[in-house]
Amino acid sequence: MSVANRGRQVLESGAEYVREHRRARLGLLVGIPASVLVAFFILPLLTMAWMSFLADMPPAPLTLEHYIRIFTGDTYITVLWRTAVLTVQSTIIVVVLGYVLAYSIARFTKRATIVLLLIILPFWTNYIVRMYALINIFQSGGVLDTVMILVGLANEPSGIMYSHTAVLIGLAYVWLPLATFPFYASLTNMDGDLIDASKDLGAGPIKTFLRVTLPMTKNGVIAGIVLVAIPAFGSFITPALLGGTNVLMVGMVIEQQFAASFNWPFGSALGMVVTVGVVLLIGVGSWLGAGGKLAGGGDE
Amino acid sequence: MSALNTLEGFIHRHGDRIGRGLMVLILTLIWIPIGVVVLMSFAGEGVLSFPPETYTVRWYAEVLNNDDAISATLTSLRVSLVATPITVLISLLAAYGVARYDFRGKNALQALLTLPIIVPLVVTGVAMTLFFGNINLSSGFTTVVIAHIVRTVPFAALIIIPTVIGFDRTLEEASKDLGASELRTFRRVTLPNIMPGVIAGGLLAFTVSFNEFVYTYFVRDTATQTLPVYLWGLIRYGFSPEVNVISVLFLLLAAGILLVAVSLTGLKQVILRG
Repeated sequence: MSVANRGRQVLESGAEYVREHRRARLGLLVGIPASVLVAFFILPLLTMAWMSFLADMPPAPLTLEHYIRIFTGDTYITVLWRTAVLTVQSTIIVVVLGYVLAYSIARFTKRATIVLLLIILPFWTNYIVRMYALINIFQSGGVLDTVMILVGLANEPSGIMYSHTAVLIGLAYVWLPLATFPFYASLTNMDGDLIDASKDLGAGPIKTFLRVTLPMTKNGVIAGIVLVAIPAFGSFITPALLGGTNVLMVGMVIEQQFAASFNWPFGSALGMVVTVGVVLLIGVGSWLGAGGKLAGGGDE
Repeated sequence: MSALNTLEGFIHRHGDRIGRGLMVLILTLIWIPIGVVVLMSFAGEGVLSFPPETYTVRWYAEVLNNDDAISATLTSLRVSLVATPITVLISLLAAYGVARYDFRGKNALQALLTLPIIVPLVVTGVAMTLFFGNINLSSGFTTVVIAHIVRTVPFAALIIIPTVIGFDRTLEEASKDLGASELRTFRRVTLPNIMPGVIAGGLLAFTVSFNEFVYTYFVRDTATQTLPVYLWGLIRYGFSPEVNVISVLFLLLAAGILLVAVSLTGLKQVILRG
């Protein structure tokens, strides 16, 4: 029997086995996606975890020195603190603006489809392009300066590039759409009669919002907060382009360890700190009730 | 109390106008930077002066004649066109398994499918670099494609899984009752019906892949320069009027793909993903 025939026979009996055995079919269906993600996503993260405890490039003895270096001394605590502050600030801005936007689309707009398209299109546009668009506005002599001088708020061009403000606006700008969608979803899923009932019973719009609408959409709000806070905390493109070395965030420091300092174990330890922070954030989020809604995603 | 009542009354009377006004204001703020980029792509003077005094299409011609830009575009297309079909296949297998079978670890699989979205890109990017280094897989086209698959599977799965779950099972059962095998039923009944969702998932995967920067930045070699990596270099190390043109091209691509995806599955699927 030729090798080709033998091969075909094996393939055919394999195919028949799969056809007749439900578990084998399931194994293929689930096994392939699961093994791809385990091999190229989970194993890399485990490699990073292992590397973070190595004194130097492998082979090297185990150590906690990188974690000690991160949490003692000012340098990295300052960076982590700044990252956390920017994350909280940008999340607050995004949640307020996103809720206003979602509320107006859900309640006051007949052309909801067009407005939603206008919000999602920038979100589908390249992340770096959106950052570059802001550089055009922020740079010295840019659009912001031109307008400020025109209305008399400034005398000479200075720009706001490489500042905390620039990074903050940048983060809020890119993540606003991501929070708007879960807000909009929970607002449209909410029973509108409840608002009418509240008003019929004599509550004004503010009271109705605080007592009815906001509690009813709580899970959407938490989902939006987590969806924005996670990528903001791990940001690397935005602070690198808008903040430079003036506004170091932890994502940039990780990148520097790999691209410039070549201190991979230390960069891995920083990566682990970010990962643990994100896991805690998700834990708190799902504990507060956003479970199942945390599926969105963006570019950072 | 009366101040609050006055405020309540004011919002009661004008709330819808205030809401619409704020909506228009926020939309304007979102679109001004993009509008400026489009305007500047026609600026006669190049980048730094706003507003432009003369207009030209010269920069568009320069991009079309720039070998680096063209080669980066082709590299991006090659990566995305290899990664996207693999991503769709993986997502389809997972979606069918999740929708049609009960098994232990189903929740774990669904969590695994969304996890790459949740872990910050810079972390996964460096982790992949370490991992590829450890298994002696040298940086290049292959590592970039693998990274793009990991990056895009969650997006494709998030559209394709609800599509398969939403498809009426009775049609499949009818087909099986008439004697068709599961595979034949899938090819002849299930697949044609879920095709719009599959294509939309593929389009989203392609878009995410074509725009991918962070993973690529870490796992590429110098020969594998995708368009976003090229753009990053242009912005980081000195400005060039071509950046505006490339930005406009990215915008048009996003608009085109978005419209096709929305017309295939509806806006709700694309935006809200289940």
